[in-house]
Amino acid sequence: RNLILFQRSTVPRKNVIEFRPPLYKQRYFFVKDIVNQYKPKKVADLGCGNATLLCMLKFHSCVQELVGVDLLMDRLLDWNSDKLSPSIGDHLGPRDLDLSIVLYRGSAVEKDSRLLGFDLITCIELIEHLDSEDLAKFPEVVFGYFSPGMVVISTPNSDFNPLFPASTFRNSDHKFEWNQTQFQHWASNVAKLYSYTVEFTGVGVPPPWAKHVGYCTQIGIFKKKQPDPGSWILAKPTGSRVSEPEEHAYQVIDPRKILHAHKWCQSWSTVFTASFPSLQQKHFLLFVLCTEVLKEVEAIRQKYVWIMKRKESSEPESEEDTDSGLVRRPGLFLTDAQVAQIEKSPKPYSVGKRFYVPLKRLIGYPKVNRLVADVSTLRTLLAEGIPMRLNRAHTSVQIDLDPYDYPHDYR
Amino acid sequence: MSGRARVRARGRARSPSPADAPSPTSVDISASEASSTGDFAGTSRISQTHGVSPGDARCPFIQRGGKGRRDFMDLDVCTREKLAHVRDCKTGSSGVPVKLVTNLFNLDLPQDWQLYQYHVTYVPDLESRRLRIALLYSHRELSNKAKAFDGVILFLTQKLEEKVTELSSETHRGGTVKMTITLTRELPASSSVCIQVFNIIFRKILKKLAMYQIGRNFYKPSEPVEIPQHKLSLWPGFAISVSRFESRLLFTADVSYKILRNETVLEFMTDLRQETTMSCFTQTCEKRLLGLIVLTRYNNKTYRIDDIDWSVKPTHTFQKQDGTEITYVDYYKQQYDITLSDLNQPVLVSLLKTKRNDNTEPRVAHLIPELCFLTGLTCQATSDFRLMKAVAEETRLSPLGRQQRLARLADDIQRNKDARFELETWGLHFGCQVSLTGRVLPSEKILMQDHICQPASAADWSKDMRNCKILSAQSLNKWLILCSNRAEYVTENFLHCLRRVGSCMGFNVDYPKIIKAQENPAAFFSAVQKHVDPDVQLVMCILPSNQKNYYDTIKNYLNSFCPVPSQCVLTRTLNKQGMMMSVATKIAMQMACKLGGELWAVEIPLKSLMVVGIDAYKDEVSKGMVVVGFVASINPGITRWFSRCILQRTATDVADCLKVFMTGALNKWYKHNHGLPARIIVYRNGVGDGQLKTLIEYEVPQLLSSVTEASANTSSKLSVIVVRKKCTLRFCMEMNRSLQNPPLGTVVDSEATRPDWYDFYLISQAACRGTVNPTYYNVIYDDNGLKPDHMQRLTFKLCHLYYNWPGLISIPAPCQYAHKLTFLVAQSIHKEPSLELANSLFYL
Repeated sequence: RNLILFQRSTVPRKNVIEFRPPLYKQRYFFVKDIVNQYKPKKVADLGCGNATLLCMLKFHSCVQELVGVDLLMDRLLDWNSDKLSPSIGDHLGPRDLDLSIVLYRGSAVEKDSRLLGFDLITCIELIEHLDSEDLAKFPEVVFGYFSPGMVVISTPNSDFNPLFPASTFRNSDHKFEWNQTQFQHWASNVAKLYSYTVEFTGVGVPPPWAKHVGYCTQIGIFKKKQPDPGSWILAKPTGSRVSEPEEHAYQVIDPRKILHAHKWCQSWSTVFTASFPSLQQKHFLLFVLCTEVLKEVEAIRQKYVWIMKRKESSEPESEEDTDSGLVRRPGLFLTDAQVAQIEKSPKPYSVGKRFYVPLKRLIGYPKVNRLVADVSTLRTLLAEGIPMRLNRAHTSVQIDLDPYDYPHDYR
Repeated sequence: MSGRARVRARGRARSPSPADAPSPTSVDISASEASSTGDFAGTSRISQTHGVSPGDARCPFIQRGGKGRRDFMDLDVCTREKLAHVRDCKTGSSGVPVKLVTNLFNLDLPQDWQLYQYHVTYVPDLESRRLRIALLYSHRELSNKAKAFDGVILFLTQKLEEKVTELSSETHRGGTVKMTITLTRELPASSSVCIQVFNIIFRKILKKLAMYQIGRNFYKPSEPVEIPQHKLSLWPGFAISVSRFESRLLFTADVSYKILRNETVLEFMTDLRQETTMSCFTQTCEKRLLGLIVLTRYNNKTYRIDDIDWSVKPTHTFQKQDGTEITYVDYYKQQYDITLSDLNQPVLVSLLKTKRNDNTEPRVAHLIPELCFLTGLTCQATSDFRLMKAVAEETRLSPLGRQQRLARLADDIQRNKDARFELETWGLHFGCQVSLTGRVLPSEKILMQDHICQPASAADWSKDMRNCKILSAQSLNKWLILCSNRAEYVTENFLHCLRRVGSCMGFNVDYPKIIKAQENPAAFFSAVQKHVDPDVQLVMCILPSNQKNYYDTIKNYLNSFCPVPSQCVLTRTLNKQGMMMSVATKIAMQMACKLGGELWAVEIPLKSLMVVGIDAYKDEVSKGMVVVGFVASINPGITRWFSRCILQRTATDVADCLKVFMTGALNKWYKHNHGLPARIIVYRNGVGDGQLKTLIEYEVPQLLSSVTEASANTSSKLSVIVVRKKCTLRFCMEMNRSLQNPPLGTVVDSEATRPDWYDFYLISQAACRGTVNPTYYNVIYDDNGLKPDHMQRLTFKLCHLYYNWPGLISIPAPCQYAHKLTFLVAQSIHKEPSLELANSLFYL
């Protein structure tokens, strides 16, 4: 797997067994499922190849730090560096939480203190590429030194190989291919030694007539027996609401790690770093908030003008009707409680050619409320972002009642 | 899209897939790659598209990013060598020298600098470009050298010891791969291949400065300018290129802004839903959205909206490539951790382009409106006066502001460690900003009927010509005014002013017949149909609103079905108190022109000269149609014009019908002047990148054959000049320790020009705010053999002759007339105007 180019050759071309989706994708989706289930914040992929897995994991809102490590990184990176960097969409619609991506060139059996304190480390189709010397070092580095909350290791299952026409290893760089017993034996020993629990599963379901061979790729999921207090495994899954940074910031460090930290080692070289825009950065919060507020105000204005026009033309409706009509509109999903709250708040009004929406009303709209919790924060931020759009008392946002009232030329 | 088209699109939707259902075979190499490993097309593609050995005249790489390539194509066209009279010198002499600062930077290379091109083969052959590159780069012989490699062709600045170098590498699989590196060419710094390599290097450098590449330009996402009230975000940045100018290699950088829209299609739809009634919502929605390009936020790809499928909801399922079924909601949750908020939104349909040109049915992508950002400004947005004003206020930079940005960029390039390292390994030295000397041409006198005026400012001489009589005008005796009942009073008022200013300028306006109509487009149109007959000289419509319907239907009818000049005025314009006289003056001048009048002239020293303007414009309604306009002067004073226009079905902007137009214009000239013009000068506007060669091979021969066929003995002499309003070059003048726009009439014909072309820059328009954009002229064909000085001055004179504006304009008047004509046809009429109108400027 050092050379990701060959990853697909793990499924030989002319055989009876064909996996849909391809096996390599099934492995990645397996990791995605783990991330979805456990919501880790810091994830590292050892032997990340051309970082395809990282490209898939960067979408997860829970992940705040992604690290990839591979021996052969620098030259292969060029093709994926753009996919790992923030794109236009990431700038226009920033994430809720920060995300940084770092790629290192280095070996998975070298210690590097920058990988301490991770929640999840994945080694997908890595160990079978290690020679016996490296394989012996591997558990001490990954489980003993990095000591993450969870480790996922996948490797070919040689019990499955007879189903393939060729009887050799699936890849010529493989130093070994274990059967289920061998892998489980190795894994159980490692787990025992470093106080992890391990469960076995896999991807690539065998055909019904050969159930006994097990999954084509066998996977071991290792969980730390005594997770660090307050670590992500114990924490309840957080919702999509923006959390205060403090909730995430603390990290209780294992005494063993502190010991290691004295021997501060950085054996890997950094090849790539990217930091994503997020609502935790004030600049982006300001941008998103101002845009959302002005979108909301504009939508309310449109509805207001529409209701006014209808009032002019047909028989006047009752005051209540007008007001609830002002709140609801297509594309806005409000619960009854939210509607009730907005209806209670000060109403939008117009004076002359200007239209005003009180901040107290705006805060009731979920898209605004998602970003700021209270009116005073909203006021402070808007005063910084769009000062010209606030009325003098800083209690309402103001826009022109009819913004399309402008002159045109003759032709 | 029509219902039929929609059915067609659906019929193709065999297995709709979400936009990016990952296909394992396509390795998407972003066009924005620029690194020392090179910005190259895939190896397989090189061999397919070129099938030539490296060492071929053209460089095979960077064939991917369309525009870059087309620029280089133009540079390969050498027109100057065929023009004997400018082979030695193409600079003019008249005018006052002026020192100008440019946005060009010197790039210095060691004298003996050379680029060595090698061809690399592998035994056994490796298909993977990544592996090829990885293996070659792992060699010590190459690791410290400046290099660019695309998997086949290798460029080095240091020669390898041997002409043929053999290397071998162990792959991780234990096999041995032999690589043979063979020298194929030694290239001097001036070769076009080197220039492409320099461009790659600079793209890499700008990336190192944390800039984001979009198209060919680089932007700073870290310093955005936001215009939240219009849902816009502007990224400042630069358009850059390295190119060989007159004698030197220079780096050009112009400030550029990327306009990004912070609005999803779903938001756009819900806004629209509020504006319109339910019944016409789907129709309006399709009308406004189809054809737009959207950007999907999760994978940063762009798609064209070809259809909207209202029957599909996010909760429906689709088939993934592996055959499994999944709902859109689940798919986006699983793949991108995105939760869709609106489960009732329809899906957008986009036909995916197939790269292979076979008969396979195009694949269809289904996109979720909530996840698609709108891109670009629609015409609705560009016609939004406030929005454009807000954008202009943010993007318009004074010469000084622009210079500060440039200085910062230059500073960043010189100071950034990585950037400096990159330059040094290639042996490049980023030098100082280039200053050069231009000339300010003498100002022109404006000839009126009995008065010659020397305007105080050539930018606007409306004040100078007040109370002057225009050259000639037909008396307006039989004409109509059409207005709504409400506008009757203002119309009367306006008519009074119009007659008054008319008599001042020598344009007799009689009292018209006034017709009143109801305030709707249909009523206006039927009134026009009922009252206009061929004897009517002119129809004036006082339109109650800016609705496009009013204008389009009236113009359509009066330009092709019943050819009568027409003048439309908005009621709102006439309500502006205090402005009435100046409004009336402008309208009176337009009306005089529409009747075939002449307003003013400049002195033209050449006797018997015809000037022609050609422009091409894409039709708004029927895509794939191009409107070609052709406007030729038909008198020696260059005050009367013959205008033709045609709609042609073509993908490019190259004109087909020039021979017919030219012959028509020569016939007209013959009729009026009893002879043929001695000289013809054609100004061609609206030429895109990379079309220079086509122009020379296709358009010039059409013009030539018409000219030679027109006369048996001595035919008219022809010159063809390509006019470009958009160029990345800027000139500023230092004054009082600050920078200013150069004076009107500034010509630059040295240093910033191209050695292989007969070209010059002319600044003929005033920019009161912001930085002036010089117009670029490239003489691609020239039988006339005029001195460069005369060519420049003649071009400057022609910029004075646009009758819709009493002042200088940025391009020669015939070009602007042709542009105005094509614009009217492409926007409103969509039909060829009647030939009966060809003798007047009916489209002003």
